[in-house]
Parts: sequence; structure tokens; C-alpha cells
Amino acid sequence: MSHATHPAAGGPTCLWLAAAPLSLFLLLAWGLTHHALPWHVDASWVPSLGLSLGFRVDGLSAQMLALITGIGTWIFVYASGYLAHEPRRGRLLGVLLLFMLAMVGAVTADNLILLFLFWELTSITSFLLVGFNHEQAAARAAARQALLVTMGGGLALLGGLVLLGQMAGTWTLSGIIAAGPDLAADPRLPYALMLVLLGAFTKSAQFPFHFWLPNAMSAPTPVSAYLHSATMVKLGIYLMARLDPAFNDLLFWEAILIGTGTLTAVWAAVLALRERDLKRILAHSTVSALGTLTLLIGLPSPGAALAVVAFLFAHALYKAPLFMVAGNIDHATGTRSIDHLMGLRRAMPLTATAAVLAGLSMAGLPLSFGFVAKDVIAVAKAEAEVLTLVSYATVFVNAIAVAVAGVAAVRVFWGPPEAPRGQVHEVSWRMFVPPLAIVLLGIEFEFFPALADPLLLAAARSISPQLGVVELSAALDLDVLLSATGITAVVGLLFFLAWDRLHQALHRLYRLDERFGPAAWYEHLLHGLSRVAAWHTRRLQDGRLSSYLRQTLAALLLLGAFAWWAGDSRPLIGWDWPDQGWAWAVAALLIVAGAAAALLLRGRLAVLMASGLVGYGSAVWFLFAGAPDLAFTQFMVETALVVVAASVLPRYGPSSSRREPWRWANAALAAAAGIGTFLLLAHLQGLPPNAELAEWFGRTSLPEAHGRNVVNVIIVDFRALDTLGEIAVVAFSLLAVLPLLAGLKKRRAA
Amino acid sequence: MSLIMMLAISLVVSAGVMLALSRDLFRLIVGLAVLGSAANLIVFMAGRPGSLVPPLIEAGAGELAAAAADPLPQALVLTAIVIGFALLCFALVLGAWLVRHNGHDDSDRLQASEPLASDPLKPPLMDE
Repeated sequence: MSHATHPAAGGPTCLWLAAAPLSLFLLLAWGLTHHALPWHVDASWVPSLGLSLGFRVDGLSAQMLALITGIGTWIFVYASGYLAHEPRRGRLLGVLLLFMLAMVGAVTADNLILLFLFWELTSITSFLLVGFNHEQAAARAAARQALLVTMGGGLALLGGLVLLGQMAGTWTLSGIIAAGPDLAADPRLPYALMLVLLGAFTKSAQFPFHFWLPNAMSAPTPVSAYLHSATMVKLGIYLMARLDPAFNDLLFWEAILIGTGTLTAVWAAVLALRERDLKRILAHSTVSALGTLTLLIGLPSPGAALAVVAFLFAHALYKAPLFMVAGNIDHATGTRSIDHLMGLRRAMPLTATAAVLAGLSMAGLPLSFGFVAKDVIAVAKAEAEVLTLVSYATVFVNAIAVAVAGVAAVRVFWGPPEAPRGQVHEVSWRMFVPPLAIVLLGIEFEFFPALADPLLLAAARSISPQLGVVELSAALDLDVLLSATGITAVVGLLFFLAWDRLHQALHRLYRLDERFGPAAWYEHLLHGLSRVAAWHTRRLQDGRLSSYLRQTLAALLLLGAFAWWAGDSRPLIGWDWPDQGWAWAVAALLIVAGAAAALLLRGRLAVLMASGLVGYGSAVWFLFAGAPDLAFTQFMVETALVVVAASVLPRYGPSSSRREPWRWANAALAAAAGIGTFLLLAHLQGLPPNAELAEWFGRTSLPEAHGRNVVNVIIVDFRALDTLGEIAVVAFSLLAVLPLLAGLKKRRAA
Repeated sequence: MSLIMMLAISLVVSAGVMLALSRDLFRLIVGLAVLGSAANLIVFMAGRPGSLVPPLIEAGAGELAAAAADPLPQALVLTAIVIGFALLCFALVLGAWLVRHNGHDDSDRLQASEPLASDPLKPPLMDE
């Protein structure tokens, strides 16, 4: 994405596209001031499947919508500047717009299946956006990884949602939340919640699925700022927060959320120290923040709900600008490596201002909305009496956040400027106004919390309905705040100063993570998959007809064996000797003799004749089992077949005495097939006979079809359409034979 | 009595499978024919044959006599016999054509639609 590569790429800047999120944002603002929440829309779609276009907007949805459309507006402005020299920007912006709509759908959907559809749509658009620079192998791999991880989680989510829907007997999210406490007794609940959480954890990059998010940084920066910090990765958080009122009484829910959240927050903070790439540092700190959010959702106190929404809001307001700053630096200098970036303050004063203000918020220092959020979080934790270990962990995580803020906002802008790398200059207004605008908004909320108060409180109440009336500003608890902020600021400063040394010291740990971490499991899994596919293609699909027949037969026999094992029918063998018994015995003898001869004889004509004997034997049986029509047809067909076969037989040449390589396997399969057939027949005889159809045909044949031969009536009248199809098959096979015969003649003439 | 027929049908299936698994194209086709016959016999057997009386409505009678054989399996098998015949004719001619054009009657060496396992077109087994 070097700005110098496409100097000629002109065309429209697509700035006007920002009008789409902006109009949605204004619509939302108008709605919030004129109509009380929640809003509810329900249109029938596929009622038989429980699928309806059900949308519901409550406080939490409204907050997400405000972030999606509000930040989205600035993202589109930023993208029009960032992509000014990118000839394919139309495609990127189109997908970005689609993504925004999918997000809007996902956070407002009330129907479970609808939620899943939008959820997956965000995964697909994310895949397209991460892989935008598809000429680069790394971008393709990152896109595939993001897709496989989030889509795999999406499948789990679908399973979980369907289970929840079945348990609650409703397909609406609001219905399930209302039924939540009653579901606690259902033994399926843990499975359903595990599946749902798998979906949420993969989407929101929780340990051990965190690795896809930093890799997704190969996306263009507007995408990273929008999807991978402010919106999409918050979708999992949104879902967990949405379900929290129903399940936060469960110890299971609380333990998993707090455990996973803490682990993710700490581990991602440690990993952030590994990186030298500014965007990847920010990505790891995003994962860390997502972990903190998960942890906060797991806390049972009502204050935690306020902490969740405040931190969600604050994080979006500082992380998106920081990503934009990283993008500006990349754009201006051509690198994102912190080893080569210093003293950019003079060349890029406005970007630097935005960075410092966003950094303040990230560090939770005064003059920022992050300060307010940090305070609310501290109060919530004090309220919930979290484990000491968790408290220490959060101090560490916050300290790293301070250090990351320092790296992104101070380190790269201060100090002596690097030796001039070409002409480093401030970026266009479309690229520095958006981050500035978003951070200034955050500062405004710090001084006038009343502006954001109603929205955040409404959002918090959708997570924790019992939350009383609190004012965000009044929640300031100076003692708690000063100690928390003071400690983290000091420790964070130490981390910041020791950044490079820590990087060296932790080198071994990172090597261990590379070899045995979750990302390595992912690679092993992917590698294993292609190995299985290769084995499958080589060994099973070996291109030999007899192999395929063997496999098909073996599978069929296994299925039959399973049915036999699982079924409960009783076999029955008839020993009686009817009047025509001698004729049946002769027929059986003919059939067996024919089959045996066909198997044992080598000559082609002999084999053909022997197989004809099976047919003649069958005909004899039909004749003495009340089926003269069948017998007549079979006699005719066998005779005609011999004529046809005899005419093409010479073309096969002399019979070869080839050794069959799979002789014993074939024999075993044949024996198994014979035994299976015998068992099948015995069980068929054991089933109670049902003469209903025979009686119906016998009764209606004459009055309705005016025929006395019931078999013929069935064929030409009751099942006339089938017979037409059969005639068509015979005609088609004849048509297919004609060109083959012509080919045979041509060859002989040549 | 049904025991004799059950045994006979089972043996026919075994022989048919053995023939169909042969590499000889002609035997393979005959095997399919034999398996087709066996399938017809199985369907017929499922109708509990036993009555000698064909399913014809006697002159003067309004409906089928209770002693008559079940007409439904007969109708099904009749259809199957004819279809099987058409299929077999096609298979025999196709087989002859294949022998002519490939110069051999080995079914395992038919590669027009798919290469063999040793073909370099197939993905390699990644052995470490």
C-alpha cells in the first residue's frame, strides 16, 4: 500500500459512500430521541421453519449500532483517503458496506437463525477484506485462517442456538433470555452454552482462538480499524452480554467467562511485547481488551454491566483512531516496524495529536473517556470481590495497555527523527480528521458524560436489568480510582521503558508458543487435513473400477450389519412344503446351477449361457408362484439377451486367463454379501405381512380401471407414469447403443 | 419351503458379486446381470409368494379372490426385468466398444475418466 506505486490511479474518491453509515447514524439518533426503547419489528418469512424477520433494538443493540454507524462514518472517510491510490478501492468499499449492513443485522436480529445468518455474513465479508491483497500469500493464509476459525465457531454457534431454541421452545433471542432461568434444570444446557460460547470465543478471538486476529492485520488499515478493533470482534462480546442476564447465575457460565477472559487478557498482553509491527502490537492489545470484556461479563455484579458497556465504548473510541494512526504512519513512511520509527512528531503533527489523545484514553489517564471507563471497571471489580489472582492479572493487563499506548503514541513520535526516509509528510485531511474526530468525541464524553450516559445506562440495563439509577460521572470513586490508575500507570511506565529488553527476555517463551501454541495446532490440523485428502485420493480413489465396487459393497455391508445390530426384528425361516414344492426345488436347482456355472466356467459364451440359466430358473419359479406374466417376460428377455449378447460377443476377443489380484478379498466380500442377503431375507419373512395394498388393487382394479389382470392394470394404469419413465429408459438405452454400434463398425472397416 | 429359495438367492448374490468384482470386463457385465436377477428375486420373495393362483379377476367376480397371489411385487419385478434388460444390452455394447477402442478387456485399466493412483496428477502423499 505504498502511495507512490499508483500515481496515475485517479477516479472517484468514493467519499460520498460515508453518507450510508452517516444516514443510518442520524436515523438512529432521531429514533433514540423520539421513540422509547426497545423497538421491535417482526415480519413473517418462513413460518414453518420458525424463521422470521424478527428484529429487536434495546439499549445494548442501540449502543452497538451507534458504534457501527458512528465509527463506520469516519472509517469510510478515512478509507477514501487511505485508498486514494488503490485502483480496486470500489471492491473493498463495497464489501465494507456489505459488512456494515451485516453487522447492523447481527446486533438487531431477534430471530436465532437470522442472527446466525448475519453472523456468518460478517465472517464471509471479513474473509474477503482480510484477503484483499490476494497477490500476497500471507494475506491469503490470514484470510483463510480467519475464515476457518470464525466459521468453525459459527457452526458450533448454530448448533448451540438450535439446542437453545429447542429447549426454550422459541426461536427468538428475547424469548430465550426470558426463559433463561427455567432452562437451568435442563441437562442439555451446558452443551448448548458451550457451543454458543465456542462461537463467541472464536469471533471475539478468545484464547485459544486468539491467533487469527493479529494475522488478520494483513488487511488494509481501514478494515483493521473497523472490523478487527471496533466492531466485528465485538460481536462475540455482544452475544455473551446479550445472553448474560439469562445465565449469569450459573457457576459454569461465570467460571468459563472469567477464566477464559483473564487468560486471554494476560496472554495477549504478553504476546503484544513480542511484536515489532505497530499494527500487530495494537491487534494483540485488542485481544487483551476483548479478554477483559469477557471477564467483565462473567462478573456477577450489576456494576459489571456498566463496566462492560463503558469499556466497550471507550475501547472503540481509542482503538479505531490508534489503528488509523498506524495506517497513517505506514502510508507516510512505508513501514510499521517500531524499530525504524522515531520522531515523526514534526513531520506529522496532526496524526501525532490524535495518537497522544487516543493513547491517553487507552492508558486510562485523565482527559479521556478511557478514564471514566477505567473508573467504572475498578468500581465493578471492587463490588464483585474478584479473586486476588484476577485482580493482579488485571493490573498487569492494564499496565501493558499503558505501555502499548506509550509505544503507539509516544515512542514513534518523539525522540530524534530517523534518518530521512524519502519525504515523510503529513497525510491528507481525509486521513487525519477521522482519528482526531473520534478521540475528540471521547474527550467530550469525559467532560460531559451526560451526553453518553442515557445510551450507556440503557445498554447496561439490557445486560443487568436490576442496575439502579447511576450517573456515570457520579460513579467516580476517587480512592479506588487513584490507587488503580496510579499503580497501573507506574507499572505501565516501567513496561514501556523496558519494552525492548522484555522483548529479548521473553524470546524463549515466544519460541515455545510458536512451536506448541494454538497457532501451531491450527497448522497441524490444516496439514493433517490435506494429508488425509491426499491419502484418500491416492488409496481410496485409485482409479480402478473393481476398487470402487469393493468399497461400495463393503460400505453397504457395514451399513447392513449396523441395521441388523441396531434393529429388533426377528428372523423367520419357512419350513413348510407347498403343493408346488417340487417345482420350486427345480427352479432353485436351475438358479444355483446357473450361478455356479457362471462363476466357474471361463469361456465367454458358457458364462453367458450360465447366467441365462439363472433367468430361466427364476422364470420357472415365477410360473409356479402365481406369476405367469413374470415368467413369460423373463423367458422372453433371457432369450432376446442371448441373441443380443451373441452378436457382440466376438468383439470381446478371446477370454483372458488373467490372475485376479484381489481374489481372496473378493471371495470374502462375496461370501459376506451372500450371508447378508440370507439374513435380509429371513428378517423380511419375519416382518408381519401387510396385504393392504394388494387388497386395494384387487378391489379397485375392475371398477376403476376396467381390467381383470391386476398386474397389468397396476403397470399401465395405477403406475402409468412410472411405466412411461421405464419406456423412456429403454428408448434412451437404445439411442445410446446406436452410436456405439456405429463406432464398432467403423473400427472394423478401418 | 422358503428356505430353499432363500439359500438359492443368497448363492446367486454371492456369485454375482464375485463376477462383478472381476477385472474381466465381460464377466463384470455378466455379474451385474446376475445381481439384477437376484434383486428381482429378493423383491419377489418379499411379497411372500406361496399361492399358485395368478392375480386375475375371475369372469363374473368384481374383485380379486383372496387366494390369488399378491399383484404388487409382480408389477414391480416386471418393470425391473424390462429395465434390467435395456441396461444390460447397453452395457454389453458399451463393453464391446471399450474393448475395441482400448485394445484390452481389463476394467482396472480404464482411465478415460480418472487416472490411476500412480498418476502424477494426483496429490502426493506427504510422508515425512
